[in-house]
Amino acid sequence: MENSSRKVKIVVAMPGLDCHDRGIIYLSHVLREAGMEVVYLGRFNTPENIVNTAIEEDADVIALSYLNDHLYMIFFPRVVELLKERGASDICVMAGGRIIEEDRPKLKELGITGFFGQSTPTPVMVDHIVKRVKRERWKVN
Amino acid sequence: MGSEEKIKSTRRFDVCPVTETSAGIPLKDVYGPQDLEGIDYKDDVADPGEYPFTRGIWSNMYRGKLWTRRVFTGLGSTADTNERYKYLLGKGASGLYCFGDTITHQGIDPDHPLAEGYAGVSGVSIVCLQDMYHLFDGISLEDVSVSFNNPSMAATVVYAAFVAYAEEMGYDLSKISGSILNEPIHLVYSMFETNAKPLELAAKLATDVIEYSIKNTPRWHPIAPNAYDMHEKGANAIQEMAFTIAIMEEYIQRMIKRGYNIDAFAPRVSVFGCACDIDFFEEICKFRAARKVWAKLMKEKYGAKKAASCRLYLSVHTSGNSLTVQQPVNNVARVTLESLACVLGGLQSFDPAGYDEGYYILTEHSALTSLNIHNILAYESRVASVADPLAGSYFIESLTEKMEQEMFKIINKIDDMGGAIKATESGWIGSEMDHELIKEQKEIEEKKRIIVGMNEFTVSKEEEVPIEVGRDRPLEEQMATSKKREDEIRKLRETRDNKAVKNALEDLRGQAAKGEGHNLIPAMMESLRAKATLGEILGVIREANDTSYDPYEVIQYSL
Repeated sequence: MENSSRKVKIVVAMPGLDCHDRGIIYLSHVLREAGMEVVYLGRFNTPENIVNTAIEEDADVIALSYLNDHLYMIFFPRVVELLKERGASDICVMAGGRIIEEDRPKLKELGITGFFGQSTPTPVMVDHIVKRVKRERWKVN
Repeated sequence: MGSEEKIKSTRRFDVCPVTETSAGIPLKDVYGPQDLEGIDYKDDVADPGEYPFTRGIWSNMYRGKLWTRRVFTGLGSTADTNERYKYLLGKGASGLYCFGDTITHQGIDPDHPLAEGYAGVSGVSIVCLQDMYHLFDGISLEDVSVSFNNPSMAATVVYAAFVAYAEEMGYDLSKISGSILNEPIHLVYSMFETNAKPLELAAKLATDVIEYSIKNTPRWHPIAPNAYDMHEKGANAIQEMAFTIAIMEEYIQRMIKRGYNIDAFAPRVSVFGCACDIDFFEEICKFRAARKVWAKLMKEKYGAKKAASCRLYLSVHTSGNSLTVQQPVNNVARVTLESLACVLGGLQSFDPAGYDEGYYILTEHSALTSLNIHNILAYESRVASVADPLAGSYFIESLTEKMEQEMFKIINKIDDMGGAIKATESGWIGSEMDHELIKEQKEIEEKKRIIVGMNEFTVSKEEEVPIEVGRDRPLEEQMATSKKREDEIRKLRETRDNKAVKNALEDLRGQAAKGEGHNLIPAMMESLRAKATLGEILGVIREANDTSYDPYEVIQYSL
């Protein structure tokens, strides 16, 4: 039985060499305020070290951010693939930053959700994370 | 929503809700003569061109020389960038701007495993001497100034390559002008910290550029600290300038330790690259206050005797952060307002951001619009005719004075901590910036800061004024661009005389072990002439300083 005090554990990371981390700095603050446990990896990560951390930490969510260019279409699917290889596909993957409209269907198909950006109110993000974790990870309503 | 309800909901927009500046300085309803009490015209304000340069660094300001009209450039290959340069020069640009790509900033070569997909993608890739030939083909370096936006340790190599190129082309080095960012300390909390560490080594290399430049390229500005990035990462207007000035003291003290008199180099290191955000009056006063703080510091703390040592040149890229991806056409208004603040603040150079900066690197159309913002301000609006036209305003002088005091408080605090490197390594500066960033984001979310089209006055995508914006290259194209660049560098490695490269690099390695006072620029130029690459040059210098060859510890020295 899940009690209401159970904390969402979330890995926040940017893959690749993108340096635009304003978003994740603020997001991490908001998530902590909302009572989540944030494992902050910051910038300059590889999909491998993000997945390793998420598994080692037994995280519920991996939150990925990317803004600079188009390489997220390589990094994000790679994170999903690695989770699958490691038998950890039950970790929810979400993405934000500057994810262009045309790429979203493909990412959604891989189970990536969110696509939050500059103007998304943070309560919307928190709500999305909590609902998805409860539904898919904790299997509670 | 009923019409009555709708009217009621807009009524709160009938009054100005703002009671403080962006940095949190309280604002009164009105200012008067009493607000000038304690401000002495001769000591605190003075005529333009007179110490402490509050009103600007030249007596007749823009009648003597207009600001340098730059537009953000740097895309794809060196040849693409060269083409854009020629286009902009033909349209009235007087200076060129070179923004490095991600991996150049990182100091790694295009064939590094982590560089895949990044080479030449969101900026221009500069790796070897040959790149300078492509970048400046057909452009006379004696006639235009070039501004390199390379902040990290890579800046040292880019500068060395630029000078080696200018020498080979037979240019008179005393005539080439421009600047290079070349300030790695701020990277720890803003961008590419991996290529700024260890900080002591990074600061040493940056100082090498300063030392070499004052002797060999006297019209060049060898360091132009990046206040901009600190602002965009949270620092408010006061912190932006105070942190930057504190950082500059690190280099000033290094140069003094190397035996130089302050007046021998201060005139060349007094250029800041700042942001100009949307808080119009605060930004104008920020520029006025920063000039005053710098002048006082140079004279009173470092004993500068020359006026030139006390003149702070300010250049700006208008704040990308203040722009929205929603309704991009609105950004033209924002950028114009910010550009006007630059002119009224007495800047020497600025580049108005493109209205589509939130999307990608400027399209030719948005670059042209940015350039015309310059042209409208400079030639049409008449705002540049009179030096510092806002001086004497009760509000402007009072806010300038207040900002000066606040800047000094922070500078003194960092001094007490042992300087900017220490205040960076302890995490103090970074946490101050995070605090401001979170505060600002919260205010946006709570609509205490209104951003038109983003958190208020929003419209649906369909209602937006249609306007062309820069589009990302499709992924395949991005990968292909990067691959092409990677292949060029692989080919360079195959076709060059690797024995000569190795000899040059080993000599550099030996010199790099000689410590702080031994200038590495000549040895770097020698390595570049032997066709060594950016990654190799920085790699052997790192190794000679007990640090890994590769900042990411993925590859090894293999010659």
